[in-house]
Amino acid sequence: MSIMEYNGSAVVAMTGKNCVAIASDMRYGIRMQTLAADMRKIFKMHDQLFVGISGLATDMQTVEQKLRFRTKLYELREERNIKPSVFANMVSSMLYERRFGPYFIEPVICGLEDKKDQKNVPFICTTDLIGAQCFTNDFLVAGTTTDQLYGVCEAMYKPDMEPEDLFETISQCLLAAVDRDCLSGWGAIVHVITPDQVITRELKSRQD
Amino acid sequence: MMNLQIKTAPAGHIKEARFSPYENNGGTVLAVAGKDYCVVAGDTRMSEGYSILSRDVAKLYQLNNTSILASSGMHADMVTLRKSLDYKIEQYRHRHHKEMMTPAIAQMLSNTLYFKRFFPYYTFNVLAGLDENGAGVVYGYDAIGSFESIPYCVTGTGSSLITSVLDNQVAFKTQMKNKAELSFDEVVDLVKDCMTAAGERDIFTGDSVDIAVITKDGIKYEKFALKKD
Repeated sequence: MSIMEYNGSAVVAMTGKNCVAIASDMRYGIRMQTLAADMRKIFKMHDQLFVGISGLATDMQTVEQKLRFRTKLYELREERNIKPSVFANMVSSMLYERRFGPYFIEPVICGLEDKKDQKNVPFICTTDLIGAQCFTNDFLVAGTTTDQLYGVCEAMYKPDMEPEDLFETISQCLLAAVDRDCLSGWGAIVHVITPDQVITRELKSRQD
Repeated sequence: MMNLQIKTAPAGHIKEARFSPYENNGGTVLAVAGKDYCVVAGDTRMSEGYSILSRDVAKLYQLNNTSILASSGMHADMVTLRKSLDYKIEQYRHRHHKEMMTPAIAQMLSNTLYFKRFFPYYTFNVLAGLDENGAGVVYGYDAIGSFESIPYCVTGTGSSLITSVLDNQVAFKTQMKNKAELSFDEVVDLVKDCMTAAGERDIFTGDSVDIAVITKDGIKYEKFALKKD
C-alpha cells in the first residue's frame, strides 16, 4: 500500500466570480480503521488564504505548523499579509528542500489576491510532494479521491459562479466523490472565501 | 514470436522476461436503466500502452433486438466473448423458438465468464436491455462473472471518474430532496457530459462515443465526437 494512502483524504478547491472555495473530508483513519470524524485538513493562514493538505497525517500536521511559523515570521517582517502566490512559492521551495526525503503530502493553496489592475482575483495552486506547482483557473483536487473528484468537477464546474452557487457545486462534488472512496468521507467541511468574509459550513454526509 | 529467455546476472540474481497474456486496451463504457428505456454508451478509442491503435473501434455490441453488451478491457477477449455469446443466443433461438430475453442473457454471460474462472476473459462487461415487463435493466459484471442488476453501471479506465457523477445526477444520492425521474433525452445529455468529462481527464478515453438507446420500438444509435488528444 502506498504511503499516500495510509491515512486517506479528499481536498478540492474551485474558483468562482471574485471568490474561491476549498473543501475537504474529515476522516482520520489508519489504513482501514477510522479513528475520528473531526479532523481538520484545511488551515487558515489569513482571511484571504487557506491551505488544504492531503496525504500522510503526521506530515500534514508538521507542514501546517512549519507553514504557520513561516507565514507569521513573514507578517512580522513585512507588516502585511502574505499573498497566496508568494505563499505557494514558499510551500514549493519548502517541499523541495526535502527533495530526497520528502514530506508525503499534497497541499492545495487557495485564496484571493490583488493583481496590478484587478482586486480580489481568485488564486488556486497545488503542488506534488516535492514542490512542483500546478496553476489552473478552474479547480484542483488532491488526496486518495482524485479520480472521482476529477470526474465530478469536470462534469459540474462552470466558470464565474457566485459564492452560493460555488458552495453548492463544490459540496455536491465532494460528497459524491468521497462516497466512492473507502479512505475518505466521515464528514465534510467547506470554506467559501469572498472579499468581505469567509463562510465556513460543515456538511451532513454519510458516516461511513 | 515471443522468446522467453532466462538471463542469469552476476551475484546469483535471476532475471526473467515475463510474457503476459493480458493487455488493457483502455476505454470507458456505461449504461443507465430508465423506466422504459436503456441508454448505453462507450467510447471508441483502442489503445496499447501510451499509443492509440484505433480511433473507431466499437465497444458496444448488439446481441439481439433488445440487448446490448458493452465491454471494456482487452479487445481480443471482447471479440471472443461476443462470438461465444452469439453462438449460444442462436442455439437458444433454435431450441426454444423465441428470442433470449435480457435477464436470461445476463445469467448466461455470468456462467460463460465463470467457466473461465482460472484464466479469465479480461473484459469488464455491462449488459443492457429490457426485462419481461419492458422496463430498462442494466447488469454490471466483474471479469469472472459476478453480476447484479443495478440502475446504472460504468466500467473501464474512466469508471472512477464517471460513477460519482451518476451517483449524484441519476440516483441523487447526495441530494435526496431533488430526486426525480429522468427522461431518456435528459439521460443522453448527461451521458454526453460524462463522457466529455472522462475524455478530458482520462488519457485512454476519447475520439468519439457510440450512444445507443434501447426502447420497446428498437435500438437507435448516435455518434458523438470527443477530443482526439
